[in-house]
Amino acid sequence: MPPAVAVSRLSKYFPQIELRYLLTLRRPPGVWALQEVEFELQAGELLSIVGPNGSGKTTLLKLIATLLLPTRGRILVDGQDALKSPLAARRRLGFITSNEASFYGRLSGWQNLAFFAQLQNLDPRTALPPVAKTLGLEPYLHRRFFSYSTGIKRRFDLARGLLHQPELLLMDEPTTNLDPISALEVRQLLAQIQGQGKTILMVTHRLEEVQKMGGRVALMQDGRFQELRPGAGESMEDLYCRAVAEGGHVPA
Amino acid sequence: MFLRKVWAFVVRDFLEDLSYPLSFFWRVGSILFHLVTFYFVGRLVGAAVLPQLTPYGGQYFPFAMVGLALASFQGVALMSVSRTVLYGMYTGTLEAMLVTPTSLPTIIFSSVLYQFLAALLEILIYLGFSFWLFGVPLGQADPWAAAVMLALTLLSHLPLGILSAAFVLIFKQGDPVTLLLGRLSALLGGVYFPLQVLPSWLQSAAQFIPFTHALEGLRQAVLSGRGLAQLSTQVVILSAFAVVLLPLSLAAFAFAVRQAKRLGTLSQY
Repeated sequence: MPPAVAVSRLSKYFPQIELRYLLTLRRPPGVWALQEVEFELQAGELLSIVGPNGSGKTTLLKLIATLLLPTRGRILVDGQDALKSPLAARRRLGFITSNEASFYGRLSGWQNLAFFAQLQNLDPRTALPPVAKTLGLEPYLHRRFFSYSTGIKRRFDLARGLLHQPELLLMDEPTTNLDPISALEVRQLLAQIQGQGKTILMVTHRLEEVQKMGGRVALMQDGRFQELRPGAGESMEDLYCRAVAEGGHVPA
Repeated sequence: MFLRKVWAFVVRDFLEDLSYPLSFFWRVGSILFHLVTFYFVGRLVGAAVLPQLTPYGGQYFPFAMVGLALASFQGVALMSVSRTVLYGMYTGTLEAMLVTPTSLPTIIFSSVLYQFLAALLEILIYLGFSFWLFGVPLGQADPWAAAVMLALTLLSHLPLGILSAAFVLIFKQGDPVTLLLGRLSALLGGVYFPLQVLPSWLQSAAQFIPFTHALEGLRQAVLSGRGLAQLSTQVVILSAFAVVLLPLSLAAFAFAVRQAKRLGTLSQY
């Protein structure tokens, strides 16, 4: 059985495009957002990625989701090469963007999910009810999306990512801007989803969340990826601070 | 499967439109105001001898009405794709759609379909108002020839809209295609006046704009009842524009998407 996701020697360079470089044909400067990232995630595993702002966490998710092209390297999603067969890779993953604006505010929750279900080649009448039930969205389905609270919107975001029952879930800060109760609800839902055998790759800034959810933890810093393994009695916060201070090179 | 996806986009846009019920009435109202304005301009010049209008029935108002209707249709063809791309980039809906197993061309074409259907409805409203409220005779119109001219208008202008969207994907603002072509078409396409009133060099320049031929063909079909056989020149020219521009624009768009994915600007506005 292939890993749910396998990333090898993945690098991403963002050139700085400005007119002066185009006019003079000079090679533009840029930023290495990812450098030689390498990891594998087996089915059912949870990997939380932490790291300072701008360290390349979201870039990594977008590369796996085929929204960006890597400068070099390889991404396999459930054995499918995400570069050569992006549509096949997308069928196997769900991307939770945590971007409320990526829904249609004037449409109802049902209408939004029905639209995205059809883009996933699904019949909304059969695909929506089980997901809505699992996420407790049934009472909200027929109200306009803009009228929901941030917590409910986040649950709709989860629902959109789960509609096609993907094996791999990519999540970009799923509890950002949520109050403690809503964040707890989302964490419980994630635990429930992971319990169903789904693989979760999550980017977050909340260290207490990482600790509570368990699973593997990695630090992204300056585009480099390193898996963190807390020592006995070491809190996630201590480990994180030590790792960032040491530039991501933490002895295991 | 493809048709179900296309239908999903049409339903989405229809529901969004429906959620702004006043917007439809304002659009209809604006068509009416437009027509009333040109009706009185038509009355002003009505008594004058206008030999340039003879091929279109000799009256200014019907001549301008067809021009206005097709100009609005052309506007949709030129701007709908880039607007759709911009909106998608701005809100993040484009990324949300792009992580589904739906290709970008399907997303783009399906996203503009409803706008074309709405633009088609607007043309019918232009014609309906002109017939019922202003007494423009339309009995002689050849509906099949008019439909073919509209389809060719779409096929010859959509590539320009796609080129415009390719520009927007990379540079975000300042799209020259829509700006230049929209203005040029209004001046040289013959929306408000017959081309014959222009200096000969501008008349020659106008032949390089697809809108000139589309409008001429539609006017002949609607106002003079010309059939497709008599409009073969326009059919051939518009088809040539479509055949040359369509693959070119799709290649440019594919290149722009690749560049946006390489530069990470797909979700930047």
